[in-house]
Formats: sequence, C-alpha cells, structure tokens
Amino acid sequence: MTSVISRRLFGACAAAAVLAAGAAAAQDTIKIGVITDKTGTAKFYAEPVTEGSMLAAKIINAAGGVLGKKIELLIEDDQNKPDVSATVARKLVDAGVVFILSNTSTTATQQQQTVSLETKTPQLTPSNSGETLTTQIDNPYFFQTGPLFSYQINTLLSYTRAKQYKRVALMTDNSELGQLVAKSFKAGLEKAGVQVIVEEVVQRGATSAVPQMQKVRAANPEAIFQAGVLGPEMVLFFRAYHQLGMKTPILGSYNLSIPLYLTMAKDLMDGIVIVDAYDREKPEVKAFEEAFQKEYGRPAFNLNAYGYDGVRLVVDAIKRAGSLDKEKIRAAMQATKDFPATIGAKGMKYTFPPGKRTGFDPEGVVVRLIENNAHGRVVHAGQK
Amino acid sequence: MSDILELLVSAASSGCIYGLVALSYLVMIRPTGIINFAVGEWAAVGLFAAFFLLTNRWLPLPYALALIAAVAFTGLIGWGTQRIAVRPLVEKGAPILGPILALLGMLAIFRESISLIFGPDPHNLPAPFGLRQVSLGPFAGTPRDFFIIGCTAAVFVGVWLFFERTVWGKAFEAVALNRKAAALMGINLRRVTVAAFVGGAAIAGFAGVLYSLTAPRDFLMGLPLAVQGFSALVVGGVGRVEGAILGGMILALAEQLTARYADQIGIPSGMSLGVPFLLMIVFLLARPTGLLRPKEAAA
Repeated sequence: MTSVISRRLFGACAAAAVLAAGAAAAQDTIKIGVITDKTGTAKFYAEPVTEGSMLAAKIINAAGGVLGKKIELLIEDDQNKPDVSATVARKLVDAGVVFILSNTSTTATQQQQTVSLETKTPQLTPSNSGETLTTQIDNPYFFQTGPLFSYQINTLLSYTRAKQYKRVALMTDNSELGQLVAKSFKAGLEKAGVQVIVEEVVQRGATSAVPQMQKVRAANPEAIFQAGVLGPEMVLFFRAYHQLGMKTPILGSYNLSIPLYLTMAKDLMDGIVIVDAYDREKPEVKAFEEAFQKEYGRPAFNLNAYGYDGVRLVVDAIKRAGSLDKEKIRAAMQATKDFPATIGAKGMKYTFPPGKRTGFDPEGVVVRLIENNAHGRVVHAGQK
Repeated sequence: MSDILELLVSAASSGCIYGLVALSYLVMIRPTGIINFAVGEWAAVGLFAAFFLLTNRWLPLPYALALIAAVAFTGLIGWGTQRIAVRPLVEKGAPILGPILALLGMLAIFRESISLIFGPDPHNLPAPFGLRQVSLGPFAGTPRDFFIIGCTAAVFVGVWLFFERTVWGKAFEAVALNRKAAALMGINLRRVTVAAFVGGAAIAGFAGVLYSLTAPRDFLMGLPLAVQGFSALVVGGVGRVEGAILGGMILALAEQLTARYADQIGIPSGMSLGVPFLLMIVFLLARPTGLLRPKEAAA
C-alpha cells in the first residue's frame, strides 16, 4: 500500500518537475547545466575546463545568443564525488536545463548518466577520456568528445613505431583515473605486440618512489609509459628517476599535458614526450587564446579549450534542433558532423559517426615534446 | 647490493616521517587518552605556514627561521584546538569519545580552510637541496633524505630527554599512569593537557614540513599521513617514545621492501599498498600494546 502511495506521490512530483521545467524553458534564457568540481580532488582539472565553458557562453551571448535567446550556464559543484554528482545532475534537470555539460572526472560523469538516461536530458563531457563512458550503459543521451585513452596510447605507439619497442615499463598511481588509464594503455601496448615487462604503482600519499624505480631500472625496459595522474606522486616518480640516474625515455598520457605538472616537477620533465590534444599553431587556438587572455587576464592552456568547445558544441546542436525540445537537441547532437574543433590536431573536426557517441577524431591526438620546462612543439599527430 | 643500501636510505627517511606523526599521536595519547586524528591536518598547517612564510612577498623569512616559525605556529594552532574542542568537553565530564569526535570535526575545518586560502593545487615547499644522489659511507640517497633523517633524530632525542630527564616529562608520565593520583599530588592536569596538544601539534607541523620535502602536497595530504602515522604507532606501541620511531621504520621498511622485492617471491607488488593495514591487523591481534611496552608494565 505504502509503495503505491509513494509511487503516486513520486509520479506527482515528477509531473510537477516536468511542469516546472516546461515553465523554465519558456523563459527568456536557455539554461545549460555545468557540473564542475570546485572543492574536491578533480578541481585542478575541472575548473579550468569550466572557465573555458564560461568564456564560450559569454562570446556566444555577445553575438546574440541562439534561437533569439541568451544562454545561461547553471554551474554546480559535485566535489568529484559520484554520488553528489548524480544529485546535482538531478538538481539541474529540475531547474530546467536542456543540456548537461560534465566537466568533472570520468567516474563522476559515469554516475551522472543514470540521471541523464532517466530524465532523457542530453549530456556531453567535453574533456573526459574514459574508454567505457559510452559503452558501459546504453544511454543515447550521453556524448563524449574527450580524446579516448586508446587514441592516446595508439598515437604514442604510432610515434614510437620507428623505434620498434618490444619491452617497456608501465607506471601509474592508485587513483581511479590512473588505474583506468593504465588499463587502457596496457591493452593498447599488448595489442601492438609490445610486452609490458614491469608494471609499477606509486600510491597516493607515498613518500618515495625509489623502490618502484629501482625495479624499473633492474628490468631495463626500452621505454617507460607513464599513465599516472596524481601530482605529488608524479613528482616522486620524476625525482626517483633523476636520483637513480636513469636515462630511459618517458612517454606520458595527456594528463601530464596539464601545465601544473611543470610547476610541480620543475625542470624534471625536460626531454619527455606527452600526449596532448592541443596545437598552439592552429588558427582556432590562436583566436581562442586571445579571447581567453582578454577575459581572464592570463594565458589559456589546453584544459580551457575543452570546456570552450563543449559549450560551442551544445549551442550548435540547439541551433540545428531549432527548438528547446530535449529529444530534438539530442538528435541534433548525434547528427553533429565536421564541427571545427579548437582542441586537437590541425584541421580536426568533431563528428559523431552513426551508432557512436564519441566525437573526438581518432587522428586528432598529438605528441608534444617538453623542452625548457615548457610544452614545446608538436612532434607527431595521429595514429597512422 | 647497492640497491638495498639505496632502499634503506629511502625507507629510513619515509620511516622518520611516519615516526614523527606517530610521536605526535603519542605525546597526546599518553597523558590524555585522546586519539587525535587531526594530526594529518596539523601537518598540513605546518607545511602551508612554512610555504607562506618562505614565499610571501611582504616578508619572506630565511629558511631555518621560516621552518621554526611554522612549527611554532602549528603549536599555537594545537593550543587553540585544545581550547575549543577538548577542554570544554573534558571539563563538562564528556566521555573520551567526545573530544575525539570534536577533533574529527576540527580536521574538516582545517582541511577546508587550507583549500580556501591556498587553493587546491599541490604546493612545492622551496628546498635548498639538489636531487643528485650523494653517498654517505656505503649509503646512497638524496640530500633531502639525509636532512629528514637528521632532523627527525634531533626531535626524537629532544623528546626522549624531555620525558626522561625533566620534571615536566615526569609529570606527563605520572598523569599517564594515574590521572587522579597525579592530580592529588599537585600536578596541574589542565597544563599537562595544554602542553601535550601544543607539543603534539608542533611535532605534527614539523612532520608536515619534512613530508613536503619529498613531493609537493595539497590540502588533502593529511589523511594518508594520519593513517601511516597511526599504523606506525600501533606497531611501535603508545607506551614509549622509542616505539614511535621504531614503528615508523618497520612500517616504511615493510612497505618499500614489498614494493621492491615481493614479486620475486610471487606476491604482486601492488600488495605494498596493503602493508600498513596488514601490519596494523597483525599487531592489534597478536600484540595490541605494540612492540615496546610502557616501562611500568615491563617492570
């Protein structure tokens, strides 16, 4: 009996929410929800992405908005906690957003999908690279334009093809993201016939990476693939590497392309190559960096551009949908084809191939060299 | 062979940091019985205070002075914490769990305050050391390692002398043995509690400074450090000052030897992550008083 009542009550509440959403949509702004991390472990990563999103919204509004209305970003903090993440997603849906932009980490975004699927709200992560975000649950409302881990490792392998590595080391940390990247990297390496002869983890809060690096040194691999993401633990890795006088080439995931690592591991990263999805020589990037500098008074970096592209993609879909109907917007997002990207290699465009909801061009990842404690030139692009 | 000597230095410097955190717990637990899990956050306070004193643009202090001032500041924070979260509860006759929970609340306040003031990024404490490995006899390590080991040795000798050779130290011991009897003998319980928290905080703050010499740290650094220190304390025992450093060393050695050699005997090296917990369980089951027993129990 109680279950029937509560179900009815729930139904009534849901109906009220739908009405509220309808009423909100009828107002004169188009609401887009943004989920970011303002206080948790992913803040250093999520907040720059969100800055880019805010800049894009401002530029679009200055040019008249879309469908004759201004867009309004409703920004919520999920502390990078999956449970909180789902709750704030629901809050955004109740507030009448027509789209959710997920700027926190892969694990949080995964949890938000329960809400986007249930409430049929289109959702996009412009920056997450998690391999299984679009495959774990069949959620037609969810889209991803971050460079997948498999693209990253395949691009690195393509870059090193001439060197014909056979035996390599794989390093990571015990963060969820670090573990995910390592798993994808290992799969990619093994698929390419490269043997991972030593696999080491530096745990969060560690005080030394000497034991791990001694093992790597003893195994004598041809190269070290670094899949870790935690700042302090990466610094331990680089310090131990230098302390033990190692010379083995290091190849890093795109997480190491965040400039913060250059401050933390100052002068320790010279000579290593990293995966990135950012090319400062591109005209789109030059225009973006100029706008960013004007808005925030400091230079932009790759993460900002992910969030910038995210809002542009969403607004483009709304424009092509020609309405605020969430189903139409979803269909328009799925139909995105050759949308010029700020992120990615020269000439990269976002496209969702039929039946797929990952829009990053597999050929769009680049390899950059770190020189003089700065992200230097692009030395390679694509997987071919 | 050279590998193991390198590893010993690295483990000893990690063990020193764990040992200092264990000592911070111990200094408070002995006279008051209060387990203060906020030590990790105090360590963060010490580190961020040192960072501020060294890098602020108004009055950057010389290195040694900045470290001393940061440690003193953390001691002050310890006094304040005690005044807010411990004394009122103890004086109203709350059970021991009261202050322990109140201190857990304080922990969140410290952590979030640091995040608000300094932001979420890891901060690199400037250090006048290079990274190149140097040799000291047969042992090889970085100058940071040797600095950490030297400083920790000095702190432990100081605290040991305090407990063994001063009237104040005796008062601490007396309170630990029997609170009521100590009070009847004219020992001021309140003062001992204050001294325990100020001392405990200062030690934790110093541990934080040394911890940040290993890598940049952020506002979330407290928890892993508090866990490691607590494990070291369980291993070494809460009874004696020497127990804290012994526990820290055993813990760090076990961790790093597992990380380095475990897979050679068929154990996955990822197991080193579980070593502190495994040690803690083993000791709680087999030897709940830790390796070193308090003197009165031994006598």
